[in-house]
Amino acid sequence: MPQSPEVAGSIYDLGYRHYEGARLGRRHAVGAVYFQSLRAAFGLGRRPAAKIVPIALTLLATLPAVTQLGIAAASTREIDVIKLEDYYVYIQILLALFGAAVAPELVGRDQRNRTLSLYFSRALERSDYALAKLAALTTAMLMLTLGPETILFVGNTFTGDDAFGYLRDNWTQVPSIVGSALFVSAVMSSVAMAIASQTPRRAYATGGVIAFFVISSVVGDVVASTAGRYGILISPFDVLRGATLWIFNAAPNADESIGRYDLPGALYAAVLAGAAAVSTAILLRRFARLAA
Amino acid sequence: MGGMELLETRALTKRYGSVIALDGLDLVLEPGIIGLVGANGAGKSTLLKILLGLLAPTSGEARLFGLDVATRGVEIRQYVGYMPEHDCLPLDMVATEFVAHMAQVSGLPRGAARERTAETLRHVGLFEERYREMRGYSTGMKQRVKLAQALVHDPRLLLLDEPTNGLDPAGRDEMLDLVRRTGTEFGLSIIMSSHLLGEIERVCDHLVVIEEGRLMRSAPIASFTGRTGVLAVEVEGDAAPLSRRLRDAGLHVREEGHLVLVALEDERPYDLIRDAAVDLNLGLVRIEQRRQSLEELFRDAPEARDAAVA
Repeated sequence: MPQSPEVAGSIYDLGYRHYEGARLGRRHAVGAVYFQSLRAAFGLGRRPAAKIVPIALTLLATLPAVTQLGIAAASTREIDVIKLEDYYVYIQILLALFGAAVAPELVGRDQRNRTLSLYFSRALERSDYALAKLAALTTAMLMLTLGPETILFVGNTFTGDDAFGYLRDNWTQVPSIVGSALFVSAVMSSVAMAIASQTPRRAYATGGVIAFFVISSVVGDVVASTAGRYGILISPFDVLRGATLWIFNAAPNADESIGRYDLPGALYAAVLAGAAAVSTAILLRRFARLAA
Repeated sequence: MGGMELLETRALTKRYGSVIALDGLDLVLEPGIIGLVGANGAGKSTLLKILLGLLAPTSGEARLFGLDVATRGVEIRQYVGYMPEHDCLPLDMVATEFVAHMAQVSGLPRGAARERTAETLRHVGLFEERYREMRGYSTGMKQRVKLAQALVHDPRLLLLDEPTNGLDPAGRDEMLDLVRRTGTEFGLSIIMSSHLLGEIERVCDHLVVIEEGRLMRSAPIASFTGRTGVLAVEVEGDAAPLSRRLRDAGLHVREEGHLVLVALEDERPYDLIRDAAVDLNLGLVRIEQRRQSLEELFRDAPEARDAAVA
């Protein structure tokens, strides 16, 4: 249809039609927030600078697994330098940094831009929004946990002489791999989200998450060595270690502090689960109360 | 939902501590283009936010399309578009991506969201620039994106909170024109708030006046302006004797420069003006019936306003 030219600067109208198609409602809306946030976690659809930190941290977290795989492939012997349950010790700092870098992007940006008004006036509830964000960060973090764990396991399977033999002896590790990766990712994400959501300011949010991990680690160690061994339950990385060992049904290495304290593995897991639950509650509360 | 009231509030009240933003508001509105006018802090934004579920009322209830906003929020909001007064755009995003995302959050499937985004951005007058980051946009362009995201899912009701905020006079005219056309041509209901009566008058056909959280008036715009015609009389020479004479005859009269403005409440003024001009030997230049603007009505003649809506 030819359009009649209008005066420059005026608003053109090339036709507006009504939408007669499907309206998919709440689940679809939540899905849209989830996928958008997952992309944003790695800076996709944003300028290149936004991609650097999350992608670099993901690569760093994968590096030990790839390295081992390379060595194993080059050698003829079965090499098992890094045990599956020990991998989290290598990457725990990276997970904390990933949370510190990405959580403010996911839960601070819309506060900063005041876009929450637009989300909360659409086909979802405030809690849907918060949980979609949490699920997105958890999924993103699986790239740093489940990703390298899978590389290790698959690598171990195929670099040895007897892939079937390896699988037969080690298939029971698979639920532990998936379970630990999901658990660790969910816990680290929810803690980072709970802290980062408290402020629209990016720098404060990132600093807050890092400060939490540093301070609680120090306090945990101090309390554990002075007031009693249960103090170790304050130290996030020690609890993480205890819980992952428990999930893999493995014992700590000889020189590890966690061996000294000799607390039941299930206790570490319970503390982590509690931390995730409290963090999620804080996150939900924050978004329930924010003015929009 | 056709044939039903667009909006209904009953004793709707919102307090912030000791401040009362809405004070027992009872309001029923039919579908149409509705102007919500009141001073800053009169409760306009609060009302819109309660309708959207962004705020919970302290007491009372509100319904849109016959559905309770407190319990059927998600359902209602699939059919409502909202343009806030404040900035709300992520400036590091590209306009098309942002609007398409917002369409999906309103429930549209991905493909439909993209199509509707292209159409809607065109409708609001954004072309090549829609593929750029919104960072570089002028205030006018940002306002258009804000309108587009409110329209993209083809709502039945559009809530616009001070849509001309921050625009220069030309941008203001374009936005008002766009809102007017969006309402009339596409048959959407619109509730638009403004503290400027002139804007409401240009766009809306129903006026709701709120003061201090209470409903002052709710009536078709025509009923405010239609029944209070004003005759502007221009004479050669001094107008003062004429206005004195007409006032003595019991008419409402006001002088404006060399014009004499006469309230036209019935047919009497025409004869009285003619007779007075003859008696005073004044040359009548013209007698013209004016449609008084709402703003004049409210500013200058509170008694005329009361007469208009009594």
